[in-house]
Amino acid sequence: MTGTVEALINLMMADQVAIPLLDPILNILYGIPLLGHLLALILWKPLFAALICPGFATLGGLLMLLPWIERKLVARIQWRIGPHEILPRMGGVIQLLADSLRFLFQEVIVHRDAKQPYFLQFPVLSFIPALLPLLFIPAGTIIAIESPYGAQIVLAMVTLFPLFILGLGWASNSRFAYIGTVREAFVYFGYEIALIVSAFAMIVLYGTSDPLAISGMQQVPGIILNPVAALAFFIASAMATSRLPFEIPEADQELAGGPHVEYSGILFGLIYVISYEKVYILSGLMTLLFLGGGSGPEIRVLGDLSGLIWFILKTLLVMIALIALRAIYPRYRLDQALRIGWNPVFTLSTIAVGVSLMEVLLL
Amino acid sequence: MRKVVAPDYTVFEHVKRHAEAVKTAIREAIIPESVTCSYPKERRKMPASFRGYLIFDPDRCISCFGCAFICPANAIRMKEAEDGRYYPTIDYGKCIFCHFCLDSCPEGALKPTKIHDVAYRDLDRMLTLTEEMIEPPEIIREDKRYVEYVIDGRDLHLRRVDGEDELLVDLPPPSKVERIVSCIDPESCTGCRICEEVCEHGVIRSSVEEDGVRMVIDSERCTGCGLCVKECSMRVLRLVRR
Repeated sequence: MTGTVEALINLMMADQVAIPLLDPILNILYGIPLLGHLLALILWKPLFAALICPGFATLGGLLMLLPWIERKLVARIQWRIGPHEILPRMGGVIQLLADSLRFLFQEVIVHRDAKQPYFLQFPVLSFIPALLPLLFIPAGTIIAIESPYGAQIVLAMVTLFPLFILGLGWASNSRFAYIGTVREAFVYFGYEIALIVSAFAMIVLYGTSDPLAISGMQQVPGIILNPVAALAFFIASAMATSRLPFEIPEADQELAGGPHVEYSGILFGLIYVISYEKVYILSGLMTLLFLGGGSGPEIRVLGDLSGLIWFILKTLLVMIALIALRAIYPRYRLDQALRIGWNPVFTLSTIAVGVSLMEVLLL
Repeated sequence: MRKVVAPDYTVFEHVKRHAEAVKTAIREAIIPESVTCSYPKERRKMPASFRGYLIFDPDRCISCFGCAFICPANAIRMKEAEDGRYYPTIDYGKCIFCHFCLDSCPEGALKPTKIHDVAYRDLDRMLTLTEEMIEPPEIIREDKRYVEYVIDGRDLHLRRVDGEDELLVDLPPPSKVERIVSCIDPESCTGCRICEEVCEHGVIRSSVEEDGVRMVIDSERCTGCGLCVKECSMRVLRLVRR
């Protein structure tokens, strides 16, 4: 028994997140019996990736922060002030905390016509495609599961999202939700192929789809190697997140929230963050494929955290770019969005594959 | 019939327009303009002609009822005061802030203010009595600066200026039209002598003649207060320009 524990601890200690700055403190803490083991467990790279970054904790923190960043940024662009009254000195930064508390205590209404078990399950289940891809996205050198097919798996998980949104709309059993669901399906057909093809172009260019290898290969970031693919991927991600200007399934003005229309309370809170989860995952993937993942000037004292910080910074940049589209463009009609998806973006992504092939053959 | 169609842009024009939009967004995100006035902490500077809460100067009022007659919302009622004269009361539940009353007041007894944020406890209290209209309502000033909107070129800009905006407007008194009372139809006068009784200045005097009572108006001393005009039972007295 003790031998097994020893072996496990040795396994964990062999693959720790190295932080030279904190080494003296960590060495003392490792000496304390239970706390040391717990710390060793958390700082074990795969678990650290799943729990802290880019996994659960970072996702949670971003979900708390991202809607605030969005509202504040869009308000700035549109000459407004944005959230202000809750903690005015910090510019209302805990607005979403207050909102989520309100969601938490609000009654969850399950209306009579809803397909009850699914109605309650789908919002919770929709965390599956949100959390699983994070296991395959590396933050610097920290990754939960190393796989030679990491990029494809992330893409596959991302394309699972619409399934859960369709489920929400179907379980709601309301006409607004149905219309929103049908639109979601349409938009899904619009962006999915362009998204996959433009990611495929990058995989062709790198010759591998192992996330760690991809981020290691980019001395020149992918956005310079293949800007066409980056543009196509960016527009397709904007469509995939179903936010303005492609907020077609939700369409507050005419569908009052589309698939979300029947939800209230904490279930609505869970659905509300789906699009932000999607923004995070797609931004992470974009950072990995086009911006070099965690590569950047290395900060020696932070060790493994250096790559992590570069990854988070780049991801934030992409997320802000995705979010700021809301302030720039009005919402497209469904047919316009489909035309954009199938015509220019699909063409761009096809050209991108050609560009990649040429670069591979020439260089 | 003309058909409205979307303009046909080339790819280059499309890209240019997208770039312009993104450029504007980035510029505004870095150096944002703002047109929001954070109200209790700063007030918008209103022009002197702002139609706000009314205050009332009873010394100038001649009880002419002009304000009550002209009020389109029937918000003004005249109420008899202890000195026997009639003064306006305003029901702010009905008032539409058209300021017709102010415009119609010949003596400038009603005065405008820039106050637009009076709160009442209930609907009954919105009926503002004459005594409450003499002084402006109590205001808790939280503002340290005021805000002006400036239009330069095509854009609206907001300019913040330190200091309090004075809410009371000091209007010069209206150029006074001298009026005196005159009898427009002496044949109809019944000689009831009510006008003589109400006149505070002894302008109207009566004397008994053979054929009845003869009324005389001393127009030199008449102040044009209009009390006799209101009381005349035969409605033969009018205020006319001197």
